[in-house]
Amino acid sequence: MWWRRQAPAVVAVALLGTAGLGLIASGLTAAPTRPPRPDAADAPVTARPAPSLPPLPRADPVRVEVPAIGVRAEVVPVAADAAGVLEVPPLDRPALAGWYSPGVSPGETGNAVLVGHVDSPTGPAVFFDLGRLRRGDTVRVTRADAGVATFTVDGVAAYPKDRFPAELVYGPNPVAGLRLVTCGGRFDERSGDYVDNVVVFATRTG
Amino acid sequence: MKAKTVLVSAAVGVGLGALLLPGAALAETIVSPATTPVGGTVVLTATTCNPKSGDAIFRVTGPNRDINVRSTTAAAGGGLSAELFTAGFTLGTYTVTATCGDGSAAGSATFTVTPIGGAPAGAGDGTDGTGSLAAGATLLGTALGGALILARRRRHPAGAAA
Repeated sequence: MWWRRQAPAVVAVALLGTAGLGLIASGLTAAPTRPPRPDAADAPVTARPAPSLPPLPRADPVRVEVPAIGVRAEVVPVAADAAGVLEVPPLDRPALAGWYSPGVSPGETGNAVLVGHVDSPTGPAVFFDLGRLRRGDTVRVTRADAGVATFTVDGVAAYPKDRFPAELVYGPNPVAGLRLVTCGGRFDERSGDYVDNVVVFATRTG
Repeated sequence: MKAKTVLVSAAVGVGLGALLLPGAALAETIVSPATTPVGGTVVLTATTCNPKSGDAIFRVTGPNRDINVRSTTAAAGGGLSAELFTAGFTLGTYTVTATCGDGSAAGSATFTVTPIGGAPAGAGDGTDGTGSLAAGATLLGTALGGALILARRRRHPAGAAA
């Protein structure tokens, strides 16, 4: 008699319990996706002897392609915020890469800098696999003047953010260089940020 | 033989000239460090300026600056120096051209004003199961609460009816 009266409630409780257990099990088994760390063997060495390529005139980059890790991304200009910190494309558009526009453009003499998110709250972002690049991999940048500058990777390394190698990234370079920058290392839940930056060093070869 | 003597003499002459005119050969301006985060300070040094000839003038030109900075101290290694505070500078590369107090050119150098620190280019992958754990715990808690109420009703059917 009791069972009949309470049957709907019993079923509801059983369903709630089953669903709860299922969600807990799936939560425990879902490992957070963490970006790959650069291989120590690919640490940057002295830039390769650059081929005798004449520098290109200034032109905004519009697209970047990194075939080795399947990146094909639109590029938008970025600079720095009011506090002087490098801007990155908006988090709600994690597939975009940003070009540090106060610096040189890809193909000009000097280091051009492209920055992109490693991930967003919804999953991996445009430069998630940057740490997987190896010396000799290719990066192609399409420019607004329809030209394509091809770069070859010289090295990849991770640096703590408080020891960011500004000189190597933004400093002078007698040839056309490219720097790809994203986050890496451990994600610090308290600060809501990664502790490292991953930097890819490349030199124009075509 | 005569040609050889002339060549040797010329080479010796060039070498002596280089030794005797170090000022002309080494006239230079140094900016240290060559890269600074915006708001940092760089030291400008004109290594060949003689302090006795008066202050050196450093002309700083770049994205949003065209200013003259007067030397304030004699540099430890020779020449004259000034400190330059880069707060408010637009990011980019600046050229420093120095002129000594006697009006002679003292060379030029560049420095780059960069963003501060690294790039905040990650937000943490939110798909790590935390949400599932929280939702699962809430559902399980609700189910346990419901089970307790049902158990009490079964033990005390009269009380439940009242």
